Amino acid sequence: MNTINPSVKALGLLMPTFFLAAMQKPFLNLTVFVLSLILLAVSRINYKIFIAAMIPVILTALGTFYTGYRFQAGNGMPVSELSFHLADSGVWNGLILASRVLAFAGLGLLLALTTDRVRLVQSLNQQLKLPPVFAYGLLAAWGILPVMMREYRQTRAAFRARGLRVLPVSPALLKPMLVKAVRWAEALSVAMESKGFDGNAPRTVYRPVPVRIRDFIFLFAVALGCAGILFLP
Amino acid sequence: MSEISFTDVAFRYQESGDFYVLQNLNVRFQSARITVLTGASGCGKSTLLYLAAGIYPENAGVLSSGSVKIDGDDPSELPPNLRCRRVGMMFQNPALQFCMDTVRNELAFCLENVSIPREEMGSIIDGALRFCCIEHLKDRKLLTLSGGEKQKVMLACLAALSPTWILLDEPFANLDDRSARDIAAKLGQLHRERGTGILAVDHRLENWLGVADEIKGMDKMGNLIAEGLTLSVHEGKDSRDSDALKRCSTAAPGSSYPFLRHKKTPQESLPEPLLRLKNITVSYTGTPVLRGLNADFSQGKSYALLGESGSGKSTLFDVLRGLAPFDGELFYRGSAVRKRELGRPGPIGFVTQNPQDQFVSDTVYDEILTSLKSKAKTNAINQKASKLITSVQKAEENQVESILRGIGLWGHRRVSPYMLSQGQQRRLGVAAILACGCEILFCDEPTYAQDWNNTIAIMAALENEMKDRGTTLIFSTHDRKLAADFADEIFELKEGTLLEHDQSIR
Repeated sequence: MNTINPSVKALGLLMPTFFLAAMQKPFLNLTVFVLSLILLAVSRINYKIFIAAMIPVILTALGTFYTGYRFQAGNGMPVSELSFHLADSGVWNGLILASRVLAFAGLGLLLALTTDRVRLVQSLNQQLKLPPVFAYGLLAAWGILPVMMREYRQTRAAFRARGLRVLPVSPALLKPMLVKAVRWAEALSVAMESKGFDGNAPRTVYRPVPVRIRDFIFLFAVALGCAGILFLP
Repeated sequence: MSEISFTDVAFRYQESGDFYVLQNLNVRFQSARITVLTGASGCGKSTLLYLAAGIYPENAGVLSSGSVKIDGDDPSELPPNLRCRRVGMMFQNPALQFCMDTVRNELAFCLENVSIPREEMGSIIDGALRFCCIEHLKDRKLLTLSGGEKQKVMLACLAALSPTWILLDEPFANLDDRSARDIAAKLGQLHRERGTGILAVDHRLENWLGVADEIKGMDKMGNLIAEGLTLSVHEGKDSRDSDALKRCSTAAPGSSYPFLRHKKTPQESLPEPLLRLKNITVSYTGTPVLRGLNADFSQGKSYALLGESGSGKSTLFDVLRGLAPFDGELFYRGSAVRKRELGRPGPIGFVTQNPQDQFVSDTVYDEILTSLKSKAKTNAINQKASKLITSVQKAEENQVESILRGIGLWGHRRVSPYMLSQGQQRRLGVAAILACGCEILFCDEPTYAQDWNNTIAIMAALENEMKDRGTTLIFSTHDRKLAADFADEIFELKEGTLLEHDQSIR
């Protein structure tokens, strides 16, 4: 999966995502999830990040299962022997929702963990003609994320140091962050421009992101798979 | 030979208004001479640089008359991809000038911008890295680099683009002396080998010794008042030049700070230290950053903390602010400080390097009031006696007035702290922390990016506080001269261990 063109990969994984969203087949969802896991296992990925990402996924899946199980439309009654059928469809309903979470997470992780973000953005720029202003703006913004995290800790520490108690998402904390974010954006754009960056000028490419035959094969395979499922009983 | 010329330039930031940052400015810079432009903070020297780089007036401000030309061309009218071959810039904050993830990608980004053919990029990138002696950083993530390394990468970008001029806006403000000198030497080499014009704005001249050919100086109003000054290694040899520099709020290299404070001798200190660090140890993901620091700080004394970037200085400050988990103990007046008390209002106060990082209120007035209230609350809890709240409130309001008048900010009490000038922000920052009633004040780089006059004013203000209230001051700095002239004792952090400087080597 690591070598497939990032744009093609993104399209190829988005397709089944929309497809599954329109269906209600929990076993199909689970199959897609297992398939994603297998593909992840044979790709070069960072297992630490994978495990860290799976924790919220599993929690969400359990949560949605329980929600779907408990609050199925039209079933507000407690379960009894007489309403066994209802209870059964509650499990079914929960399974549909939970398996969907797993399938989407599997497909999402497959893209996120096997793709270098710089290559993805470069590919979006080269293959899907995303304007360079967006592409490089995105990368620059990504680069200052760690600065922002540090800034957030700083700001919280500042409030604590003055004996003020604030909630983690308080607007009081966001205000200084916003003031600074504007300045960072200015500084960064000036720096990029002074290195010759011009959103409208033509540019050469250091490492082109190739589109190869295998990328088309991947895309067709996914499309065929989706089409095939339509004809399943 | 290339020339940047300013002819009758008048520039203001406001769309309409009559406050001009630069007025009637006429000056020429020749690429044959490495020039450093100096002057007080806020005098307009950075503005001048941004005009020369074509960043202004395109991005901000109004050039109401006159012209800025590089060899007859207006830099602001050139498209960025052509302009960057004429002028390259290096900025003060190393963290905010990159847009890619790795060093190699960043260099490639620069070359892509100017449409260098792909086949040539590899060798240009390698050449630029080799020139800056940072080949080993080629595939490193920019995030993991120190400030000095980042500036070297920036220099490599400039070496790759090879502009006619390199303009630098206080490029060494964040760096330790060694990185600064390395970069200054490389700039000199670029100048000699490729004839690159170098124009830097800086008010610390030490790092330009032996590199700069000429110093120009501006006064507070943005007028050019000194040209053709030279740097000399020997103090006092050329008093005419150092007097001229003083008028630009800049010190000649090697100048002593005029602190006439009476340094305390060790005998005067109390037997029991006010604050004691015992075996402070911090590791990040298995790598030790601080290896068992021990230090005693006595009441009323001042301590300087030296340390290059990466020595663990910011980690130590994070520990003291309760931001980093650590092993070891802290004692205040002999009793252990609980870890969760760190970073709360108490005996230890902390002033951040950038005062903006600690503002919590909408107005200057509230900034001080918040501190006084928190102090009153702590006192009330300690004394277990809640007095009449209204009278306390009244007393606090009077106190805010006297504090703000003391630091000359009473007239600005209704504006946002962010609207103040750099020097004003710093004064407010220190006053706000002191108003919490702390006895030990940590200051992270209090004179960072400050000119000579501001540096003296800030340190004098801190000294006053020490004298009036017996506050203990611990400040970090890159400026060894300042440490030697001001501090009673000097500590230096090196690779996670704390060394106490021998008094006799001063």
